[in-house]
Amino acid sequence: MSLIAWRDEFTIGLPDVDHEHRELIAMINAVHESLGPVSGAEKVVAALGEIHARIAAHFALEEREMRKLDYISVTEHKDDHERLLDDILDIMDAVESPKDYDPEALGRRLSKWFTEHFRTHDARLHHWLVGQR
Amino acid sequence: MTANPRRWLRAVFGALEALCSRVFTPAWNPLLQLGALGWFFFWVVVVSGIYLYVFFDTGITRAYDTIETLTHAQPWAGGVMRSLHRYASDGLVVIALVHLLREFALDQMRGKRWFAWITGLPLLMFIYVSGITGYWLVWDVMAQYVAVTTAELLDVLPLFGEPISRNFVNEVSLSSRFFTLMSFIHIAAPLLLLLFMWIHIHRHTDARIQPARGLGLLVLGSLLVLSIALPAVSQARADLDVVPATIGLDWFYLPAYPLVQQWGGVTVWQILGGMLLLLGLMPWLPYKRSPPVAQVSLLNCNGCGRCVADCPFGALSLEPRSDWQTYSAEAVVNADRCLSCGLCVGACPTATPFRSASVFSAGIELPQLPLVALREQLKKSCATLAGSDRLVVFACEHAGSMGADLRRNSAVAQMPCIGMLPPSFIDFVFSRRLADGVVVAGCGANACYQRFGQRWTEERIAGQRDPWLRARVPRERIALSWAADLRAFRRGLASLPPLRLSKADTGKPGLLPAGPRWPVAVRGAGIALLLGVLAGVTAVLATGPGWRQLDPNEAVMRLSIRHATATKIECKPLTPQQMTDLKPNMRRPVDCPRERWPVYLELEREGKLLYRGTHLPSGLWNDGSATVFQTFRIPAGPQSIVVRMRDSGREDGFDQVRAGAIDLQPGQNFVIEFRTGEGFTWR
Repeated sequence: MSLIAWRDEFTIGLPDVDHEHRELIAMINAVHESLGPVSGAEKVVAALGEIHARIAAHFALEEREMRKLDYISVTEHKDDHERLLDDILDIMDAVESPKDYDPEALGRRLSKWFTEHFRTHDARLHHWLVGQR
Repeated sequence: MTANPRRWLRAVFGALEALCSRVFTPAWNPLLQLGALGWFFFWVVVVSGIYLYVFFDTGITRAYDTIETLTHAQPWAGGVMRSLHRYASDGLVVIALVHLLREFALDQMRGKRWFAWITGLPLLMFIYVSGITGYWLVWDVMAQYVAVTTAELLDVLPLFGEPISRNFVNEVSLSSRFFTLMSFIHIAAPLLLLLFMWIHIHRHTDARIQPARGLGLLVLGSLLVLSIALPAVSQARADLDVVPATIGLDWFYLPAYPLVQQWGGVTVWQILGGMLLLLGLMPWLPYKRSPPVAQVSLLNCNGCGRCVADCPFGALSLEPRSDWQTYSAEAVVNADRCLSCGLCVGACPTATPFRSASVFSAGIELPQLPLVALREQLKKSCATLAGSDRLVVFACEHAGSMGADLRRNSAVAQMPCIGMLPPSFIDFVFSRRLADGVVVAGCGANACYQRFGQRWTEERIAGQRDPWLRARVPRERIALSWAADLRAFRRGLASLPPLRLSKADTGKPGLLPAGPRWPVAVRGAGIALLLGVLAGVTAVLATGPGWRQLDPNEAVMRLSIRHATATKIECKPLTPQQMTDLKPNMRRPVDCPRERWPVYLELEREGKLLYRGTHLPSGLWNDGSATVFQTFRIPAGPQSIVVRMRDSGREDGFDQVRAGAIDLQPGQNFVIEFRTGEGFTWR
């Protein structure tokens, strides 16, 4: 079973952003499925590096949309983005040092990482967008 | 061919900029904001000009009087405004020329950067037209000189049907309406100047049109001090009957004028035209090979627009998506404007070295320097470093060479502009423990060749511009070459506690500390000295040294004649037969061929021929008036002259002769005219 399943409440209402959210979830799920014994760590780091770049680009796009719409909480949202990006790099560091490598914990961390941001910041953006219409 | 003077000039500018950065600080360095200072001077001229215009009265006598009253009755108001108007416009010339020289010296106008250079040339012309018409309005002896010489210069061009110089032979021929025309041009030219200033900066993203506030205040202060200490005043009132032997010239605006007298108008136009042509060709001479432009990789581009925002030359835009992906926009490179500086690469969120090698391509890249290559080369050269002061130097193409102690135990990664460096590369160096410190080396402070490389780098490190440098990266291990004492930084590295990258010990994002500075007193004295010298030179050159256009015992004699001669064939009535032979619409009772006789003229002084010439009537059918305008410098004193004219087509002999003895005063403007019925008149 995949780590994160797409749910309708993830929809924000900005087509580009929603499209990318789906792609990112697919990517994270793929990484999760590839998680295995320690020997696969290098592959995981590479995949996480790719995810990091994609997410950075995704955040850049989302921030642009937010600024264009004069979204009120853009600063907090942006700060959370930066924190999340730092998190991924920390996860990569963790995967690289074998003593900390725990596929189970990593999976939980990734899942939490994504859904938490969805549940809070992205949901707030969604509500605000609905309110604007 | 141009390489040597350019290299020499570049060295001069480099030294001056370094000095000014020390004295003024980089933020206030006037040499790094010449364009903005030009705008500043322009607005000072405009504001003071509007004030003056309220009181100015156009008219031959009123013009001089109102300006005299303005200057002397209220020296603290009108006088200061007038002086500001003059000195700021001189400042504008100086700034424009230094700006031009600097762009040439730094080669910031060749190839794709031609636009600002070419649109700058009309600016020079409009500045000169504004200045020259401005001096004209005062109607003192310099204005008289400007009027007479400009007319002489314009008469060389095939613009006017007859010489406009004839307007300035005496007060009678000069109309007050002429001053209305002049003040119209004096307002229209600056408006056109403003239009072209706007076009001039059109291709520059976020062009700087205001100097640093402190610098602006300093410059305004210097202008005020200069205006109070050495107020601008008029010279003697213009008198067209007298040619002043010596006049003070504004050498910023009128350096070409003495040449008109020395070499003649044709030569001066050739020189000016040649200079303009040379300047106009410069962006393409010698030819500059341009590196391949930035390339967008659509697979890695979601249209976030960061590269578009960071391009200093407006070479990037967001356009509708052209591939299968469902994003709405993509970045598109305009190859005609892209200078391959790479600032867009540094802005791209996907430009991170933490990606795996096989698929690593940023959304936008320079084909000649892919980030993968940069990363692999960095890793390779860092492998040879050892110890606790290992250094990675990210350097731009224009960064100066570093001392041997900095080059030791360090790996250098070079790129076209430092703004190309994605901040994540700095993070990468530390998280992979590739080195103990990072030097980010660019051009001199605020003097980035690609305009924004340094500013974007500083702001990205400080978390003020995307992409941010990660918070955990220890800022004390980063030095900006344009703002820091690198030797002290290098020495300090070894004594830092071991590198840790845990979140607990997050470095403080914020601008890195500025470099060493001279004490305030030294800098203050330096500023006062530099601005004082500039102001002094401006004041001296704006009013002198005087130009002697006439020897003290000389006078000027002018032939100013406009004469419609008799028609070559007299009118005669047509016979009825001739009338019927003509087509109905061509029938007329009298036949009058319109062509007139030419004028042949001789001027003799003390029995010696001074001038001889034939002048055709004007007009396509030679049916207009013939005009003669000639100027001679002759010794003053009693003498005899003879002037003869043949205007009836006869072979020899003359139709009009006047001979007489005259006594010329030194500096007298002696004008010989002709009126039908009266014959020759002179005074």
